[in-house]
Amino acid sequence: MTPPELRDLLSDALALWEVPGRVAVFEGGVELGGLRVTAAARDDLPIRWWIERAGQRRPCTSVSGLLRGVRNAVGAGEGEARRLRVAGA
Amino acid sequence: MIPVSVVTGFLGAGKTTLLRRVLADPDWADSAVIVNEFGEVALDHELLAASEEVLVNVSTGCLCCLVRTDLGTTLMELARKRAAGEVPAYRRVLVETSGLADPAPILHALMTEALVIETHRLISVVTLVDAVVGTAVLERHPEARRQVMLADRVLVTKPDLGDAAAAEAAVRGLQAGLAVRAAVRGAVEPEWLFAPGDPVVPVEAVARHSEGVGSIVIEREAPVAALALTLWMQALAEHAGAKLLRLKGLVALAEEPMRPMVVHAVQHLVHPPEWLAEWPGGERRTRIVLIGQGIPQHFPARLLAAIEAEVAAA
Repeated sequence: MTPPELRDLLSDALALWEVPGRVAVFEGGVELGGLRVTAAARDDLPIRWWIERAGQRRPCTSVSGLLRGVRNAVGAGEGEARRLRVAGA
Repeated sequence: MIPVSVVTGFLGAGKTTLLRRVLADPDWADSAVIVNEFGEVALDHELLAASEEVLVNVSTGCLCCLVRTDLGTTLMELARKRAAGEVPAYRRVLVETSGLADPAPILHALMTEALVIETHRLISVVTLVDAVVGTAVLERHPEARRQVMLADRVLVTKPDLGDAAAAEAAVRGLQAGLAVRAAVRGAVEPEWLFAPGDPVVPVEAVARHSEGVGSIVIEREAPVAALALTLWMQALAEHAGAKLLRLKGLVALAEEPMRPMVVHAVQHLVHPPEWLAEWPGGERRTRIVLIGQGIPQHFPARLLAAIEAEVAAA
């Protein structure tokens, strides 16, 4: 995911979570509020993303984890349905 | 398996009139009807000319509030009586909800209660919209909008008395591509009305409602990896939550591209996947429609693209 693609995804996510804010691209990642999201280096695998804020750096291993981390970081709480449920299961 | 169809629609939309008409059809007289009335005095079931043994009135409250116990209990008691020969061997169950019911909990109950799903199968959701006041009702009442958004088919009632075209336009504004017909006093073929929900998504212009209600269509030419699809649906359920009302469509799975997989979910509850023998119309591509409120238009597609790329790179 390129930084502009990441910006678009996170902008949509903020709107979905009803959190006001603007996501801006910088070299290597995006910034929203006091938060920076950057793509991890290939040598960091399985870490794919870093969420950084003053004094903290949180690794994310997937897009799903990234969304969850950003959601928590911007104070939008946890998702409403953590697990899909299969009918009849 | 006993097929179950849910008939919903706002107060006064004509649900009881429709069911009276359906039950008068000899081919459909062998239907059990569960009527849910909201209020202390139950009248609708008195108006239905069905055999009393297979007409059950649930008037203890709104089904969508009590559904976890009442609907399942009622269905199973009916099924027990049917098996014991205490009631006629009905071939299907029609559930008439109260006009104020949110269909989602009702569908959840039909899809999750263990005893129910062993013997019953949810076939379709039919929603009635009144041509006289339906447009205004849809604007004012979120319950009415949810009834349309969760529908497989919509019947516009009272077209002789109101503006059926406006009602149909309002319906399509909530769920583009929905099968809609108009009929006076329920004069419509039950075979059309209660046919299984169509997983094939007609791709039309994306509909948006002024309050952010609408449908989002995703089309993919390239097959989707099963893992990516699962992660996508999981992430959608997690982040859209109650804003995602329904998801349905045909998917070309990378692992099985020659036949379409039918996906169908109500909020975070997913039907076990089904497979069609072949692609309808020979169009071998993924078509998924999401119906929801307040979901940014491009979020689902962007999310899917990101997850697909991640899965491909793994």
